[in-house]
Amino acid sequence: MSSETQSSRNRWLLLSPALAILTLAAAGPLLIVVVYSFLTPGDYGGVIWQFSTDAWFNVVAERDFFDETIGLSDAHLSIFWRSVRLSLLTTIVAFLVGFPTAYFIATRPENQRNIWMLLIMVPFWTNLLIRTFAVMEIIRNEGVINSVLVGVGLVDQPIQMLFTDFAVTLGMFYVYLPLMVLPIYASMERMDFSLVEAAFDLYATRWRVLRKVIFPIVKPGVVAGSILVFIPSLGAYVTPRVLGGGKNLMMGNLIELQFGQGRNWPLGAALSITLLAIVMVALIFYVRSAGTEETPHG
Amino acid sequence: MIEISGLTKTFGSGDSAFTALKDVTVTIEENEFFTLLGPSGCGKTTLLRSIAGFVDPTTGSLTINGDDILSKAPFDRPVNTVFQSYALFPHMTVSENIGFGLEMQNRPKSEVQSIVQEMLELVQMTALADRMTSQISGGQQQRVALARALAPKPKVLLLDEPLSALDFKLRKEMQIELKRLQHETGITFVFVTHDQEEALTMSDRIAVMNGGRILQIGGPREIYDHPAERFVADFIGDTNFVSADLQSVEGEAAEIVLPSGKAIQARSVTGGATSGKVTIAVRPEHATLTAPGALIDGTLQNIVYFGTDTHYHIETDANSTFVIRRQNQPDAAESQKIGDKVGISFNPGVAQVLRD
Amino acid sequence: MARSRAFDVRRQSGFAFVALSCFVLLYLPIILLVVYSFNAGTSIAVWEGFSWQWYVSAWQNEKVQEATILSLIIATCASIVATSAAVMAALATTRTSKFRGSGLVFAMINQPLMIPEIVTAVALLIFFAMIKVATGYTGIWYLIIAHSAFCIPFAYMPIRARLQGMDLNLEQAAADLYGRPWQVFRRVTLPQLWPGVLAGAMLAFVISLDDVVITEFVKSAGQDTLPTYMLGQLRRVITPEINAISTVLLAISVALVVAFYMLSQSKKQ
Repeated sequence: MSSETQSSRNRWLLLSPALAILTLAAAGPLLIVVVYSFLTPGDYGGVIWQFSTDAWFNVVAERDFFDETIGLSDAHLSIFWRSVRLSLLTTIVAFLVGFPTAYFIATRPENQRNIWMLLIMVPFWTNLLIRTFAVMEIIRNEGVINSVLVGVGLVDQPIQMLFTDFAVTLGMFYVYLPLMVLPIYASMERMDFSLVEAAFDLYATRWRVLRKVIFPIVKPGVVAGSILVFIPSLGAYVTPRVLGGGKNLMMGNLIELQFGQGRNWPLGAALSITLLAIVMVALIFYVRSAGTEETPHG
Repeated sequence: MIEISGLTKTFGSGDSAFTALKDVTVTIEENEFFTLLGPSGCGKTTLLRSIAGFVDPTTGSLTINGDDILSKAPFDRPVNTVFQSYALFPHMTVSENIGFGLEMQNRPKSEVQSIVQEMLELVQMTALADRMTSQISGGQQQRVALARALAPKPKVLLLDEPLSALDFKLRKEMQIELKRLQHETGITFVFVTHDQEEALTMSDRIAVMNGGRILQIGGPREIYDHPAERFVADFIGDTNFVSADLQSVEGEAAEIVLPSGKAIQARSVTGGATSGKVTIAVRPEHATLTAPGALIDGTLQNIVYFGTDTHYHIETDANSTFVIRRQNQPDAAESQKIGDKVGISFNPGVAQVLRD
Repeated sequence: MARSRAFDVRRQSGFAFVALSCFVLLYLPIILLVVYSFNAGTSIAVWEGFSWQWYVSAWQNEKVQEATILSLIIATCASIVATSAAVMAALATTRTSKFRGSGLVFAMINQPLMIPEIVTAVALLIFFAMIKVATGYTGIWYLIIAHSAFCIPFAYMPIRARLQGMDLNLEQAAADLYGRPWQVFRRVTLPQLWPGVLAGAMLAFVISLDDVVITEFVKSAGQDTLPTYMLGQLRRVITPEINAISTVLLAISVALVVAFYMLSQSKKQ
């Protein structure tokens, strides 16, 4: 009837500003990136409008400068591998710290829980650069940790922590930890603790209660938290730049290089699409597992 | 006068399509307390919301005093609704809530004020006029919701299970209050409920609905004493169903023969069969317990004492039970015991032949 | 008298220790950063007494002044644009029945949360470079549009949550009482929605104020927001002036987030 077509028209009218902005400044330009990945790099940045698959070829492979043989691009592959390795490490550490923290908050009296969660979330909403900078100040050679260590006499020389993989992992753990705590806490808060009592009643030990009752119930939250930490870690740019220095690059920095010093926009575009593809795979994995995990619990 | 004819509403399409209203035709008279009664999902709320304008019927027509209102938006219809959840605006006071409709109609300020005052008095809420609606009790919220819907003096007031959130005692009070308000204002009330007792005590007429259809329309006594269909008999009060042979029909009188071979006069039903196998309905309090050799014989299976009355469960054959309800007299000793052979009898005209 | 403690079913050994360490770990770096912003010396590690001097020097730094003004302009514009768009989008996605394409619309709105920032940043760099060449315009509207886009999902979330929590009957009651659609929105929907709108705007403001990556790629030469200015400074010798700027930014974010928290608590009542 007429009122239904009218409500449909109103709906799209109301949606149009948001969709227009998002198309113009988020989704649309992604398509241009796809196009650019198939063009030829210009000499001083930019592109020449000439079709080429070189950029995609160069993502994983390289042509030897002298004898023209084709080999795997060690530089790129090692950066991919570092990105995945450090992101996984970050996720695992965040889980090991985040799970007990979420459990701790979920077992506080009800009126205190929101305050504890606020304490977790406040750092998350503050500037990522500033938090990275705060970590940098602490682990510098002249920073607090080294000053204390040298001062006490535990070490003679400051330990080089800044500009290492350790620094990057620590930084990413620090900035993304709240993303692990939040979903785990959300599923724990919904959990019925009489289940835990029932398990104790049926002779389970504390460890077995944790492993056989609590963990399976909050697993969807753990999966969500892991994905939420893994995805931004994989695409991290600021943290590896500030804490990893020039050497310990991750994919985000490799992409940036192509638009800065490297001046190979098509390669940068191809690398961006590659990163996006990896993230999408992780997301699909998440949606799948969330879909199957959550049904039994309603 | 509301005239509804051939109203059908289908939600969704294809395999998931659900028909909430099937060819509903009914005329609701001026100044009538009209109740739509049925179980949840029977279509009564969909019908009410079609009148209010929140549901757009698929086909059919709906007029109020001859005006077609289906093409009108809710704010152009001369009807007001009392919502089940009351839907009082939480950011407004009691007075502001009551005056909202008048304000939307752009009535002059002084008029709004005087009508709000009048309404506050009508529902006895004058003392709480400046309270926020979250600061008053459920029963008071109910009164404000009523006053808000009555204030614009609509031609029709629609009430969507308005008493269901109240506790038992308050509900009884509000039933009487609603009846009084309807009488004083002279507005047509269309009342939706699933509570048969509420329907019987308040209504001028009741439409019993099931599966999107109106099964029977009539006064409370008519509906209770002479249900036309098995569903109506079953939904309202308790009933015994007995199969019988219909011999002949003459006006309202039907000659039937019971399985025991005894013949008796029953009440016929319009649009039903005129001969052959039929089902009859007999209310438990319309039958009496007698010695064996009556209309129906059986074995006393259970005696349940209820205070005001006693229920006798009589097994009449392998898979059917007949219940008789007898009012208790002071200090009367129970003369029957379980296992006794007993008889069941009832007067001519008490049994109602059902349509199906 | 010996009395054994009641068995606590909720206790897991070591968990409280890890959790409390976690809170210390979360706040220690930030607290140190704030503390050293008041350092009298030029070091961010050696304490030489209390002083306001770095706040004064940051205040007097012209580059910082310009970056602050630009940051505030962009955050204000972007949060207004994003919140307005988000209110409309939230109305469209919650106040109408499920429609064809609703999944796509939802994915589109939340897309900035899913796609790595660096990818969006690169995409915008390419796209805006094309427009800059074509039009010659290099002003701040690129930044405002880019910020509006990634602020939309943050503004959308609390507004949608508020709308979903609202009793749909209220709007129907208002329509039943002769309120026209615009009157219903203004008199009933908006007053109810207001805390959500405010919360959404505050989140959008914080998110815009904090952004580094997209701003770094989209900004034209000479444009700097506070975060990109700081990122540039990190390559040089770091003085507590950076700590002072950080402390002010932190204070703004914390204040807004705590206010947001209060608002979202009030809606539960």
